[in-house]
Amino acid sequence: MTGPLERVLGAFLTDPAAPRYGYDLMKAARLPSGTLYPLLARLERQKLVAAAWETPQQDGQRPRKYYQLTDEGIRIARLELAQACSGRQRAPAFGGRPAPDSLE
Amino acid sequence: MRAGPALLRAGEYLVGRACQRLPRDIRAERYREWAAELPVILNDPQIRLALRRAVRMLGYAAGTLRAAALTDVRVRRRSPATTAVLCSLLLADLAFVGWGIGDVVQAPGHPLNYVRLAWGLLLLAYPISMLAGSSVDAGVLIAISGTLLGAAINFWDAAQAPGDWVNYCVAVLLLSFVPALWLASRWARARRA
Repeated sequence: MTGPLERVLGAFLTDPAAPRYGYDLMKAARLPSGTLYPLLARLERQKLVAAAWETPQQDGQRPRKYYQLTDEGIRIARLELAQACSGRQRAPAFGGRPAPDSLE
Repeated sequence: MRAGPALLRAGEYLVGRACQRLPRDIRAERYREWAAELPVILNDPQIRLALRRAVRMLGYAAGTLRAAALTDVRVRRRSPATTAVLCSLLLADLAFVGWGIGDVVQAPGHPLNYVRLAWGLLLLAYPISMLAGSSVDAGVLIAISGTLLGAAINFWDAAQAPGDWVNYCVAVLLLSFVPALWLASRWARARRA
């Protein structure tokens, strides 16, 4: 699992039930938009993240699209983050090969 | 004077440019999504300095250009055959550039050798830009300018040796590629949409 993906999943998992906007995730994961959105598109394709539009507001602000981890996404994200964490503890100096069913 | 609306327009322009690179079916939705974040960033209460908010908003908008390039699935869906053709072209162009460098080293006072070398570099830029996933427009622009420069060199050679018809043939052949390239780019753009 790449560092940016780990950060995005970590940001989602701080409150898995909360809808997260793109800018919100950018700040939480400390990633630029050019890195974040392709990752979100990939997670959405893999059905690990679901996206929806917020209802239009009265004050004229444009509706924003928000993202949420799906149940499967929460399960995989927790698993992947735990594996990444234990992998780092086991071999801090070496990069290991990703597992065949990993998000890599 | 308030710079907010002008900055927003600049951000929207960048997002619009980014979305032009996307397939038509997702273009409008991505534009809505990305453009909706711009005023939020510009009014982010967590950032006190207006200049920092403006820089962050423009940085976000500029980043969507990269996001669009990476989201464009066709770049990653390039067939192995196309990649093989581009790699072969890259090798042939490298040989051509090497030959051009040899000519320049052997006859440094001959200006046409430098023009030939520039032609070789332009031809080399085409497969590199395609392999790097640049836009079709950039690739076509490079290919057309390379072809025109090649035709000009061959016309020059023909003027130097008017009896040698091969130079005319090559120049005309190269010129005939220009409308073909233009049509190919139109087709690629239509397919992309």
